[in-house]
Amino acid sequence: MRVRRTLTGALGVMALGSVMIFGASASSAHVAKTAAAKCSASIAIEAPFATGPATQLGLDQLHFAQLALAMANKANKTNITMGKDDTGLNPSLATTRTNSIIASSAVAAVGPAGSQEVEAVGPLFSKAGLAFVSGSATLPALATSGNKTFFRVVPDDNIQGPNDAKYIINHKLAPSGSTILIIDDQEAYSEGLVAVMTPILQKAGYTVNHQSYNGTDTGATLQSDFSSLATSQVNANTKVVILPWQSPANAEQFGQTMQQQGKTPILFGTDGTNSPGQFEISGAYVSNFGPDISTGKTPLDKALVSGVKKYGPYAAFGVPTWEATTVVADAISSVCKAGNKPSRSNVLAAIRKTNISAKNSAMGVPIKFQSNGDLTAKAGYLFHINTKGDYTEIPDK
Amino acid sequence: MQIFIQTLVTGIVTGCLYALIALGYSMVYGVLKLLNFAHGDLYMVGAFIGYFAIQWFGGSTSLIIPVPLLLIFMMIVAGLGVGLLGVAIERFAYRPLRNAPRIAPLITALGVSFILEDSVLLLFGGFTKNYNAPAFLPFSQSIHIDGVNIDSVQLIIVGVSLVMMFGLRELVNRTVFGKSMRAVASDREAAEMLGINVDRTIAMTFFIGSAMAGVAGVMSGLAFGQISNIIGFLAGLKAFTAAVVGGIGSLPGAMIGGLVIGLCESFSSSYISSQYSDLIVFAILIVTMLIRPQGIFGRPPLQKV
Amino acid sequence: MTPIGVDEWVARSGDRRDQSGWRGRLGYLDARVGWWQRLFLVGLAAFVYGQFVVGGNVNYAQTGFNVLLYAILALGLNIVVGWAGLLDLGYIAFFGAGAYGYALFSSHAFGNLPLASGGVMLPAIASIPIAVAGVAILGVLIGLVALRLSGDYFAIVTLFVGQAFAEAANNVAPGTLGGANGLFGLQGFHVGSAAIGSTLGYYWVAVIVLVVLMGLLHLLDSSRTGRAWRAVRDDSLAASAMTIPVNKVKVMAFAFGAVVAALAGTIFAAQQSSVFSTNFSAQTLILIYACLVLGGAGSIGGAVLGGVVVTVAQQLLSSPIDSAYLFYGILVIVLVTRVRPWRYLAAVLAAIVAFGVAAHAIVGAISHRAIAGSPGSAGWFSTALRHYVIVPRGEPLTYGNILYIAAIVMVIVVVQLKGIRRLIAVVPTVYVGICCWEARLTLDPGITAQIMIGAILIVTMAARPEGLLGTRRVEVV
Repeated sequence: MRVRRTLTGALGVMALGSVMIFGASASSAHVAKTAAAKCSASIAIEAPFATGPATQLGLDQLHFAQLALAMANKANKTNITMGKDDTGLNPSLATTRTNSIIASSAVAAVGPAGSQEVEAVGPLFSKAGLAFVSGSATLPALATSGNKTFFRVVPDDNIQGPNDAKYIINHKLAPSGSTILIIDDQEAYSEGLVAVMTPILQKAGYTVNHQSYNGTDTGATLQSDFSSLATSQVNANTKVVILPWQSPANAEQFGQTMQQQGKTPILFGTDGTNSPGQFEISGAYVSNFGPDISTGKTPLDKALVSGVKKYGPYAAFGVPTWEATTVVADAISSVCKAGNKPSRSNVLAAIRKTNISAKNSAMGVPIKFQSNGDLTAKAGYLFHINTKGDYTEIPDK
Repeated sequence: MQIFIQTLVTGIVTGCLYALIALGYSMVYGVLKLLNFAHGDLYMVGAFIGYFAIQWFGGSTSLIIPVPLLLIFMMIVAGLGVGLLGVAIERFAYRPLRNAPRIAPLITALGVSFILEDSVLLLFGGFTKNYNAPAFLPFSQSIHIDGVNIDSVQLIIVGVSLVMMFGLRELVNRTVFGKSMRAVASDREAAEMLGINVDRTIAMTFFIGSAMAGVAGVMSGLAFGQISNIIGFLAGLKAFTAAVVGGIGSLPGAMIGGLVIGLCESFSSSYISSQYSDLIVFAILIVTMLIRPQGIFGRPPLQKV
Repeated sequence: MTPIGVDEWVARSGDRRDQSGWRGRLGYLDARVGWWQRLFLVGLAAFVYGQFVVGGNVNYAQTGFNVLLYAILALGLNIVVGWAGLLDLGYIAFFGAGAYGYALFSSHAFGNLPLASGGVMLPAIASIPIAVAGVAILGVLIGLVALRLSGDYFAIVTLFVGQAFAEAANNVAPGTLGGANGLFGLQGFHVGSAAIGSTLGYYWVAVIVLVVLMGLLHLLDSSRTGRAWRAVRDDSLAASAMTIPVNKVKVMAFAFGAVVAALAGTIFAAQQSSVFSTNFSAQTLILIYACLVLGGAGSIGGAVLGGVVVTVAQQLLSSPIDSAYLFYGILVIVLVTRVRPWRYLAAVLAAIVAFGVAAHAIVGAISHRAIAGSPGSAGWFSTALRHYVIVPRGEPLTYGNILYIAAIVMVIVVVQLKGIRRLIAVVPTVYVGICCWEARLTLDPGITAQIMIGAILIVTMAARPEGLLGTRRVEVV
């Protein structure tokens, strides 16, 4: 008991002393840093970076958005802050988060990631007059279903699908008359591309074998599905296997499963599987919205690669989100330059007038929006993966 | 025929993994009547420990120790680590609820599952990690018989699983611990009165069950490559199903249940439709259970009045 | 050991003893307020919130709506799990079926997508009863099959129902159900030309539904059926000996739960103006279970309170400033309730302050870089803690990760220790926890929210295994 009382006393004395020190040090060090940047505003990002099956995709988007904001703040001398709203790729969570963004002081939003989420929150954003720029929602109907404040920096399925199909046809990846296996993962992105690509490939004389596996629930599972698909569906006449997925790791795994079973058709991954460092099956082809930044040809590419290095590898939807965030940040900066205080309406108007040259764009094409929020440019790139797992760009035919 | 055998191989390999996870489920259920929904996440943690073991020894392409040594090390470390984690979880999350209504620990288990999944996400990032096992266990070493490929990883999985299941059977049937575990499972209070240390027995049960899930995690990493923080959820669900189908609380039941689920899955996605493979598996199970409501190996419950 | 029955009266023996002081007085007051007065108070609180707190703030309206939605869902689950004692893991399917039912009848879905023409397009007043009645029939059918099994075998079968629903909604008839893209552009609730167009409007709908539902369920609870459910839950063998038709009673509970879930589904679909199969995932089911069990399975008020706690906690955790309040609030509450008497508490609090300031000063003297970062919390927390926590420059991920692991290990150690050692160990533990929060956890708010929810579930269940408003029951063996 005595020990306790002494201890209590000692703790008390220590505390009192330190409170005094604390007060002294706080008052002396409080003078610095009061001059804030002139142009300040807040924006928000909606992505599935904490819950749901697509945290990889969401974290990728978050990291690139943070990088874009840091770069833009430095270049434009602005002070834009960003709220982080996790949507879990779940439309009802996105609805809740969107209402919270609308109630906040945010002048624009980046995201949401998935097409379903945009379907759910588009009306809310347009009612609030709040611009939102997505770096990954590719459903064509989004631009035509009355979402007045919707923008996206990625081409939609009606551009991507035909592009990818044409790559296969023009580069003669499969001899005419052979079978092409296409496997959807039951996600919106996947189903959209399959619907567009299948008729084009059939018209070009291929037999299209459409299969599907459940990739919606948890992303990666014990993937006996891949083994069975490779066993039963990849036969001697299958020359190309198309993987229209958002998970590069799944594509890598499907490739390894095929190798394990000694099967050798050409793998073709769509934009979502593009990730140097994750999908590196030798001999496979991958398409992408933009050029490959990993080779670092331009200073911008180098800055992007080094900026996200500490988070590990990156995948396809990071760069578009960087671009989307840059669009928003530049719009805010232009509002300030015109002498106005950033508000939802003037930032929306400024985003509409976005005009970023191809040189300054990470997407390789100029960023300019049509009236429905789609890009005017139709970008598309094809890469071949060599034995070391590096991506080399293949010119269009 | 070739497709049939290849599918059979896939089914057996996946089934062994399910069985290992289901065993832990069933053991814990046996002693505590607790559905440990965090069990799948222990499997996930095991897979991560294995991944970091590979990185520790130089990464998959430039290993600094012989491959067999690495495999043994990975499994032992994952087994011990996850086993201890399981014991800690039991001590801090489940023990305070031992006499609570049955649904309370269920929610605690979900809380534990949230914490495990998101701690891994916080610490290691969202990027799917890849064991890249073909780099050190090349496919060229696999056995080719008439177009069917059985690679070394698959042999390792089946071998290790059999050894562990056999070991577990001996442990439960022949040792003092096994006896006390069975005693606690059949009547905890009576066991306590007979001088059995119930707390220690339960902790030990958690250790063994979790360790098996940890080893299963390492082996699934070797076989399927990619691991992420969410792989535990569905694996846990499937293992739960396996445990129930085999007769929950019964150890041979869990093994058979795991194999049944693995085979159902691979055959339905090879021969019927990969789109609906989960549904088909469940449908088969339901029919099984309607025919044999207490599971394949379960005994019909005795009603005490 | 199989319990042969449970008893509430024995378990509550402690409560019947007289308590003195403010607790006793509070208990006395509590006992004097009748059930219907309480329901009135709930309604009044909902009214005040909607009328005076929300204002034009869509965020508040949405939060209120989410609270009510989860409360209604938890009430439905309470019938099945709390009263009839059936571990129903497929409850989410009925929620989804109600939502999809509404979506099909109140949109152009039966025509052609994208939503141009055709379709059934019934007004809500017609489509809600159709959807709910359909789900009720579904519930009876599934219940009849599933209830051939008991206990965990029943749980597995219902789990299948839930999974099957999500897969079916995603894969079957994509032309009508929309596949992964779901159905969007749904018509809202409207009677004639008066339509509900705002979240607040749906908030009021949900308030009315909740209050009416609570009243009905209370009547049901004390009716013959309610008593039969509880009898079956506590001991189905004895219940059948008392001539209660056990299976019929169980199917009835299952179907009643399904009806409530379907009703919630229709409101949900109308408010979101779209439905997707991903809305009805296992994650949502887990949240509904968390609401019910946290609040107290078997209690109407508990289910509603659980809905409030879980939803509001989620909402708070998603805002940087509110999550800081929640974190520090919980910290203080835990200290205040666990450290007694108050002089120890004062000493520990003071020591926590002292420890941090000293640590900050020492580390700062060694390396200025190590304390150059700013705390991650928003608002005044950041300035207040500037000279307290150790946050290195930049985004110190590794440093934060080490702190996180250290904090968990230290918490485990603290729980193991006893007496004065525990008090001493609490000081560095709290400090490391605060540093970890400021340096790491605030960087990834979404992940942190999940971890916090997990911790709240574990701690609440450990503190009150019967739930916040639940009734303790002892098992008679």
